[in-house]
Amino acid sequence: MELEKTINWSNDALRMRFKNPVFKIAITHLLAKKRQTFVAMLGVTFGIMVFIFQAGLITGFQDTFIEQTINTTANIHIYNEPDRNRPSILASIEADTTRWITVRNQKPKDEKNKIRNAYQIIALLEQHPGVAGVSPFLGTQAILRSGIVQYGGRIAGIDVDKEDLVFHVSDYMTQGDIQRLKTINNGIILGEGLAENLGVKMNDNVSVIATNGTTLDMKVVGINRTGLTEVDRSRAYISIRNARVLLNVDNAYLTDINIKLKDINEAEQLAMEFEKRFGYKAEDWKKANSNIFGVFKIQNMVTYLIIVSILIVSGFGIFNILMMIIYEKLPDIAILKAIGYKNKDIKMIFMIESLAIGITGGLTGLLFGFLLTKFIGSIPLNIKGFVSMKYLEFNSSPAFYIFAFFFALIATALAGYFPARKAAKFDPVDIIRSK
Amino acid sequence: MKNTILETISLNKWYRDPVDFQALKNVTLQIERGEFVSIMGSSGSGKSTLLYVLSTLDTDYTGKIIFDGQDLSVISPNRQAEIRNEKIGFVFQFHYLLPEFTVLENVSLPALKLGKFTHDQIESIALEKLSLLGLQDQAMKKANKLSGGQQQRVAIARALINNPSIIFGDEPTGNLDSKNSQNVFDLFKELQHELKQTICIVTHDINLAGQTDRTISLHDGEIVKP
Repeated sequence: MELEKTINWSNDALRMRFKNPVFKIAITHLLAKKRQTFVAMLGVTFGIMVFIFQAGLITGFQDTFIEQTINTTANIHIYNEPDRNRPSILASIEADTTRWITVRNQKPKDEKNKIRNAYQIIALLEQHPGVAGVSPFLGTQAILRSGIVQYGGRIAGIDVDKEDLVFHVSDYMTQGDIQRLKTINNGIILGEGLAENLGVKMNDNVSVIATNGTTLDMKVVGINRTGLTEVDRSRAYISIRNARVLLNVDNAYLTDINIKLKDINEAEQLAMEFEKRFGYKAEDWKKANSNIFGVFKIQNMVTYLIIVSILIVSGFGIFNILMMIIYEKLPDIAILKAIGYKNKDIKMIFMIESLAIGITGGLTGLLFGFLLTKFIGSIPLNIKGFVSMKYLEFNSSPAFYIFAFFFALIATALAGYFPARKAAKFDPVDIIRSK
Repeated sequence: MKNTILETISLNKWYRDPVDFQALKNVTLQIERGEFVSIMGSSGSGKSTLLYVLSTLDTDYTGKIIFDGQDLSVISPNRQAEIRNEKIGFVFQFHYLLPEFTVLENVSLPALKLGKFTHDQIESIALEKLSLLGLQDQAMKKANKLSGGQQQRVAIARALINNPSIIFGDEPTGNLDSKNSQNVFDLFKELQHELKQTICIVTHDINLAGQTDRTISLHDGEIVKP
C-alpha cells in the first residue's frame, strides 16, 4: 500500500512537469515493472547496507585501534638496538679468506641498551618544531609476583609529569592516580589485565623481580586501561628512579625516548631524520605496528571483496530488468528514434532507469545500514580482542557514507551502461519491419 | 515552375543478409511541395525500403537524396535525427504511440525534443493539432485507451506538431478496417488541401492509391513506368 502511494505521488508529480520526456519515459518504464524494479532496488539496498555495516565495523574497529595506539604509545620511539649479528671476532683479525674459521655459540656483546647523552637528545628534541612532547623512558622485562602467582611484564620507568603530558596516562586510569607514583616511594601502576591476572587490587603489594635478580616490593597505586589488550596485560608503570634501582644503573640511564608529534603523518619522515641525527634506532608508530596494519590490509581486502561481489550480483539484477524493459519497449525505442530522438537520448533513458534504481536503492541502503549500526552499536558486548571495547565502534563519518553512495552509483551506472548502449544501437527499421 | 522538396538520383540498395539481394534499382524520382504521392507495389517490391531510405531511417544505400536542398547522404546520424525531428512526420502501420502516456503527451513528444517552444506553447499547439483531427476531448486519456482509428489519428497529430516539410506514411491505413481506412485517408487529403502539406504514403491498396495526386509503382525494386 505504501509503495502504491509513493508511486501515485510520483505519477502526479510527473504529470505536472512533462518538460523532459526522456526522464518521464524512464520513470514510466520502471513503474510499469514495479515488482522487478523493487527487487533490483532491494539488491542495491542490501549491498549498500552490508557495505555500511561490514566496512563500517571493520574500519571503525581499525580507527579505534589506531586512535588508541596514537594516544597511548609513542609516535616515534628512539632506542638502542643491540647488535645481534656481529661478525666473528676472529674473522675481523684474520683477513685470510682461504681458511675456515669457526666460532660457536657467539653471544651478543655485553652492551647495555643505554642511550648515551639521552637527556641532551631530549633537550634537542623538545626544541624541534615538529615535536609536541618528549618523554624519557626506561623499559625492562621483569617478573611480577603476588604470592605464588607470577607473570612476566614490561616495566615502564617513567617521568610521571612528562609521561602524563605526552601520553595522557591519567585519562586511562580506572583506579588510583598517576601522581601517587611521585608521592608513594614504591608505587606501581598495573595494566588492568595484568592486575587481574595477578589477582591484585589497589593498595595490594606485588614483588617485581628484574632479570638481574634484584627484587623490589611495590604497592599498587593505580590500575590503568588503554583498551589495547596486549598492553593492558603486560605493562606496569613505576617511577624512573625505581626502575634505575631495579636495574642497578646510573642516574642518566634511559633505554627509550618516546616522542609525540604535532602531526602524526610526519612520523615516518621524522623518524628517519632522528635516526640519522642521533645515531640510534628511531621507529615510527606505523612501523612499530606494521604486523597489525598488515592484518588490517587483508581484512579490508576481504571486506571489500565481499561487498563488491554483492554489488556485482545486484548489478546483474539491474542489468536483467533493463534488458527486459528494452525488449518489451522496442516499439517505443523505434518511434522515439523515428521522430528525432538521438541515440544519446535513448541511452539516457536507460541510464536514468539504472541510476534511479541505484539512487533509491543506495539511499535506502545507507538508511538501513545506519539504523543497523546504531542498533548493533547500542548492544553492550564487552569485547576483548586485540582492542577491548564495551560497544562495537562503527565508522560513521559522512565521508564513509558518501563513498558508499558513490560506490552504489558507479556499480549501477556500470550495470546500466551496457543495456543502455544496446538500446541505443537498435535499428528502428528492423524493429518496425519485424512487427 | 516546379518546387521540388525531395529528389533522388539513382538510388540503389542491397541487402547482404541472408543472401545478396538488390532491393532498390536505380530509383530516381521527385516529389513536389504540396503533392500527395503514393508508392505502390506488391509485398517485396521494395516500397517500404524506399520509404525508410527517403526518410533517413535507413542510410545504407548508394545514390543521392536531396531533401529540402540538402544532400542527405553526407550528413551525420545526429543531424539526420534532427532533420527527422524538425522536417519529417511519420505515420506507421502500427500507430506506435507510447501506451502509458496521455494523448497530449504523445503528440507533444517531437516538439519537446525540438525545444523551440515553451512547455505551455507546445501544449496549446498539440491541442490545436488534436482538434484539427477531432480528438481534442481525448487529450488527457492514456493512448492505449483509444480505438485503433483514434490512435492512428493521434499519430497523425504527432506527425504534424513540428509543421514538417513532408509526412511519410508506411501503410498508415493497413491495420484499420475499410471505414476507418477511408476516414484516415480523407484526413490526409484534408491536410493536403488545407495546410498544403506534402504527403508520401506507401500502400498496397489500389483504391486509396488511386485517390492520390500521383502513384509511383515499384516492381522488384524498380520504378514501373505507368
